[in-house]
Amino acid sequence: MIELDFVTILYCGAIGLLLIGAAGLVMCNNLFRMLLALVIAEAGVNLLLILAGYRGGATAPILGFGPAGAPMVDPVPQVLVLTAIVIGVGVQALAVAVMVRVYRAYGTLDVRELKTRFEFEVAAEQGIEPPGSTEGPAGGRPLSPVPPRPQHGEARP
Amino acid sequence: MRNVAAILFTGGLGFLLLVIASQLGFGEPPMRVGQGILDVAATEVGAANIVTSVLLAYRGLDTLGELSILFAAATAAGLVLGQRRASAAPDPEAGFILRAGADLLFPLLLVVGFYIILHGHLTPGGGFQGGVILAAAFFIGVLARPAESLDHTAIVVIEGLAGAAFIGIGLWALLADGEFLKPMLGTGTLGTLVSAGTLPLLSLAIGLKVGSELAGLMTSLSGTEAREP
Amino acid sequence: MSNVILPVVLPLLAAFLMQPLARLSAGVARLAGPLVLLAGLVLLLQLWFAPQSAPFTVALGGFAPPLGIVFHVDQLALLFAMAVPLFTLFFWDWSASGGDDTQGRARQDALMLLLAASATGLALSGDLFNIYVFYELMAVASFGLVSLRGTGPAQIATVRYLLLSAFGSVLALTGIAILYAQTGTLNLAQLGQLAPATLQGPAGLAAFALMLVGFGVKAELFPVNTWVPEVYATAPARIAGLLAGLISKLAVLVVVRLLVVVYQDTGAAQLMLVLGTLTILFGEFAAWRARDFPRMIGFSSIGQLGIVFIAFSIPGPWGLLAGLAVALHHLLIKSALFSLANRWSGSLERLAGGARSAPVAAGLFVLLALSLIGVPPLPGFWTKILVLAGLAQEGSGLHLTALGAILLVTAIEANYLFRFATTLYRKSDSPPAAPGRRDVGAAALIGVVIVVLTLQIDPVGDKLRDVAREAADRDGYISTVYPSAQARAGREVSG
Repeated sequence: MIELDFVTILYCGAIGLLLIGAAGLVMCNNLFRMLLALVIAEAGVNLLLILAGYRGGATAPILGFGPAGAPMVDPVPQVLVLTAIVIGVGVQALAVAVMVRVYRAYGTLDVRELKTRFEFEVAAEQGIEPPGSTEGPAGGRPLSPVPPRPQHGEARP
Repeated sequence: MRNVAAILFTGGLGFLLLVIASQLGFGEPPMRVGQGILDVAATEVGAANIVTSVLLAYRGLDTLGELSILFAAATAAGLVLGQRRASAAPDPEAGFILRAGADLLFPLLLVVGFYIILHGHLTPGGGFQGGVILAAAFFIGVLARPAESLDHTAIVVIEGLAGAAFIGIGLWALLADGEFLKPMLGTGTLGTLVSAGTLPLLSLAIGLKVGSELAGLMTSLSGTEAREP
Repeated sequence: MSNVILPVVLPLLAAFLMQPLARLSAGVARLAGPLVLLAGLVLLLQLWFAPQSAPFTVALGGFAPPLGIVFHVDQLALLFAMAVPLFTLFFWDWSASGGDDTQGRARQDALMLLLAASATGLALSGDLFNIYVFYELMAVASFGLVSLRGTGPAQIATVRYLLLSAFGSVLALTGIAILYAQTGTLNLAQLGQLAPATLQGPAGLAAFALMLVGFGVKAELFPVNTWVPEVYATAPARIAGLLAGLISKLAVLVVVRLLVVVYQDTGAAQLMLVLGTLTILFGEFAAWRARDFPRMIGFSSIGQLGIVFIAFSIPGPWGLLAGLAVALHHLLIKSALFSLANRWSGSLERLAGGARSAPVAAGLFVLLALSLIGVPPLPGFWTKILVLAGLAQEGSGLHLTALGAILLVTAIEANYLFRFATTLYRKSDSPPAAPGRRDVGAAALIGVVIVVLTLQIDPVGDKLRDVAREAADRDGYISTVYPSAQARAGREVSG
């Protein structure tokens, strides 16, 4: 079996973060929660990368920091993670900006509702029949107001 | 149904990754490139912080790419958000604690930010980290007094010139020494502030660019950006 | 030779300075982008026609590999690197900007330049993490460009595309982490050297699968191509054309480099074959059911990219030749189709009678459709034959299934493309608006290129064969980066 030492625990933690992020991204219905799941997943991958450079008993890769001649950890994954963090920050900031616009336009961040409104608006713009219907599901939970589908026999707009 | 599929997917992925990881030797990395860099970084580049020497010298092009990604994100956010709506009510001014705190912290954050930028080649730090602190310094001022917005022109000009300076140093190395982003100006004495050639200059350029960029991004997000002239 | 970095760096410089320049002088800012792209193109053409066309490497910063980053410049890289400024200029926004929107136009131009710079770097780079950084830059620039129209649906499409693409990048980075943990290096050539010893097991294959799905988001691979219909329906046709034509090919190039240099003799190609077949089926069935023009050609491009993946999964120079041929052909055809889609953006029914208002455009569409389906003697026929012959040569069950899928899909393509052509030529009382003269001119230019290719198919085929043979030579790649490859390999295996 796998020995339960420090590095193994961290490694399992990194994989766990990645999986939580992946599960959240697929399962969440709110755009902002999907973004947070993405942030968690990115943290997991960054941790995984740093672990790839860890050397047991070594010191930081700064000359003059540890005792002279001591082994140092691998500096390259640290640079990779620095880059990955900055890239992640850029993408997350842009995601938040776009979500602000989406919220201003639609008043909601719910993925299912946005998809319905998307289909209707694109269909209206293109002049084709929208997929699906505007009637709420049985049990009386109406969807938010969307333009009604023309009735059978009526002239199409 | 979607949840079941999601759980199956993540379960499968998790199992796969755990199986693989048990075979990888974490704790004893092969260190092919890492050991090579550790051996020669002091003499080739001259920075005490080997991570910075990898960031700015050995993998300088990656850093340029990373800088461009941040720039692209800020530009795209500016494109997406557009101008502040003229009809929007101005945000209320913050309370006394925030205003006084912002006034006190602003010079301190500036000093800390520049310290971290300039010492990036000696201790952990560098352009990106210090740049974020600089951006925070300006942004708490905006949080405290939303009516006083940051000057958009200044942000754009500093951002553009700092980025051009980074590329300019690289092009100078190309023209003078034959390779883009080759460290110039010698290595200096290890451990002093003036060492590692052009690395502190690159750090400074990165710090200014990131600082102005993030400040601009945060203000456009909060909607307090000044109108275009 | 170190100047090969300039086509990557100069557009970056122009992008950084675009907004300050626009404040100084809007006219100069409008011209700066195309000028920089042209300069890069000239430089690359010089390298292409240079007497020593042998591949070479440039160690950036003067740091020899594997410590530093290398650019590996062979004919395949140059071919794609030249396509980047060409097609960026093809899809450039030449329209006059509104008087007070110089900042918006400057931002847009800056994003296009960043897209071009990162795409060029992606084609030329020989270092895995450098490729990842350029891929991310391409992604972020495309996020900004996709939301250009500013409508509500455009923002929704952008945010869903963004989340999917970012998740793909997380997967790709996981793959890179696994590779680094196994081998300790990021240099593609060194990874190729170490691959037979270290990457044959499940770890290596899992890393490839993660990277394939991660980089496959841009390459519209199944199952991560759900962003395609939404984006193509809401982005401006120019941007959709750029994404479908140019950017997807560069993402495929990344996967191909990995396959050829690092994963040559493993089961990695099988995975590509399977996913490619699923991609074709998904794409072409969806195209058959599509009811508006941009999404129809968008889904059709998913199908064609599936064929590209299948082609590249055929081992040896044949697979590379077939994949290269299909990729380049698709690049040309889709760019022309998306130029036409600029005005023809409504439902298919609404475009009835388009032949009356725009006879040239309709004729061009027929020509492009015939080449896409693969009617001889147009170039599309030759590209499909190469793929089918390669699959038949392999002969295994999986390959023959893919062959059957391609034939089935060709029939479907013929069906919906001819359906649209008959719609165009039908009599109608209210013909749609004709595509603008610039769009038709651009599409006509590509039409002319197609005709020239038909007549000159032999020399072009020979040149492509040359390029493919050079690119498939893994030992050649390694020895270009490490001239003393033999000595190095001996030291590595024992060390």
